[in-house]
Amino acid sequence: MKRRIELGLLYSRSGSYTLIAEACRSGALSAIAQVNADPALDISFVPVERDPGGNVDLYGPLCEEILRDTSARHVIGCVTSWSRKEVIPVLEKLGGTLWYTVPYEGFEASDHVVYTHACPNQHLLPLLDWVMPAHGRRTYLTGSNYIWGWEMNRLAREVVTQAGGEVLGERYLPIGSREVGRMIDEIRFARPDFIVNSLIGPSSYEFLAAYRALGREDAHFTAQNCPVLSCNLTECEFPALGQAAEGLVAAGPYFRGAQDWPGGNFGSSHEAAAFAAVRELARLLHGREGIENAGLPSLLSGAASVVDEKTHHTRLPVLIAQVRGGAFQVVRAQSAVAGDPYLTRGRVAPAPSLRVVS
Amino acid sequence: MRRPIRIQNLGGAQAVILHRPHPTVQALTRQLAAIGLRVAQVWPELGAEALGADFVFFDADMGHDEQFPWSPGESPMPMIALIGSEAPGRIEWALRAGAHAQLLKPVGDNGGYSALLIARDAFDAQRALSVEIAGLRRRLDERQTVVRAVAALAAKGKTEAEAYAQLRQMAMAWRVTFEDAAARVVAGLDGGPDERQNRG
Repeated sequence: MKRRIELGLLYSRSGSYTLIAEACRSGALSAIAQVNADPALDISFVPVERDPGGNVDLYGPLCEEILRDTSARHVIGCVTSWSRKEVIPVLEKLGGTLWYTVPYEGFEASDHVVYTHACPNQHLLPLLDWVMPAHGRRTYLTGSNYIWGWEMNRLAREVVTQAGGEVLGERYLPIGSREVGRMIDEIRFARPDFIVNSLIGPSSYEFLAAYRALGREDAHFTAQNCPVLSCNLTECEFPALGQAAEGLVAAGPYFRGAQDWPGGNFGSSHEAAAFAAVRELARLLHGREGIENAGLPSLLSGAASVVDEKTHHTRLPVLIAQVRGGAFQVVRAQSAVAGDPYLTRGRVAPAPSLRVVS
Repeated sequence: MRRPIRIQNLGGAQAVILHRPHPTVQALTRQLAAIGLRVAQVWPELGAEALGADFVFFDADMGHDEQFPWSPGESPMPMIALIGSEAPGRIEWALRAGAHAQLLKPVGDNGGYSALLIARDAFDAQRALSVEIAGLRRRLDERQTVVRAVAALAAKGKTEAEAYAQLRQMAMAWRVTFEDAAARVVAGLDGGPDERQNRG
């Protein structure tokens, strides 16, 4: 007889980042279906869903609704860092835990959040390690005007400058804005060696399309000479990008077709990370009746989880991949690295490539 | 212009929490360990080993001067006050004790990281200012020596401006400060060692 455990889902099904939210949601739902059908687990999940509709002010109240009106103590959800920060006070107040399944900018280790996607030592730093020797050290930084863009670019600036490189320009757009003209003009004149793209949603789609057009005018602005790098772009946004995705270089723990992710094949790392979160939660709850009502420290205590007991971040493979012919192809693969949200645990030199596909 | 804050070098840093055993200590210890620090809790006073700490968090509610192995306001590391009761007397004491930042109790899920960075920045700024002030004070104290040295050089038939320039050149040649050069010239006048012996 399986214990029925309610599990919150808090993803926006409309708004500017729905492609990502839908990818996460489908990963979570497929893991729930698998857990429920698995006779080896003594639990089953009953999803309790709320849809903030892309409105950042609804995340807190809706998370509160889940924790107050249902028995769910665990919530899978949030896409932007902004929404995650809105939810944390509610989790603290009502004793809930958020499983956050998208890449983020680091510098957080809440006692109420599990971070199952990459943070900068698992995305931005390896990406810069890869690009600077190959393309040069002069960069242009773009970003959406909120904490993800600001913090990613701050870190990129620090790393590039320390390496003796140069930041030729840095510009932000409000979330949702498509006004990329000025960025493109600045890039045209600055002629960097690579571009860090920390834009999200429609701004990112518009920017990549405009950059592709620029590349048709001037061959410097192509992936061979001046690639665009991204730490949050996955296959789930291909439908919005079309041809504009070609040549883009991204870092992530998983790309479609990677073999070593537990649980099979996924459309993107967003889907894979949400799937892994639900599977890990199920594993931690299995055979421990009542633990579903306990806080994260008790849940993790002595459980030998992939989730680090101190930081609540996970150990993840580091892949760098480039879009070629409509699919990501891995250009560098590093073995799994523990999430180091405050960048205080030191970095070993990049491990030798395990596999290079080019 | 302010310099960028240092975010590196927190990994492996030692924090000491001067507070009786309490959930606030547990919550703060968890935060600091997640950031990558080593944490020790002590009560009722800091031992000599605290001199090796990189950060000290101290209880502002029950704290008093005798808990610290240094004079009030002279900690050799950044200090962060843990404030429960926001009573003016306690805040005044915490400031006098040398708080570079504060964290309100009860400490929960966050606040530790910003307290660390703000305290270290304030500590660094304070130390840089102290060094600068000490240097300026020393130079002020040497005004009379400089006047005497310039007068002595001018007495050998130079104008005041030429004497001043000569003293500056001596300081450069000897690789000492202007005030030290003046002191040497004056020492020579007073029958001290011949200034040539001081050429380095």
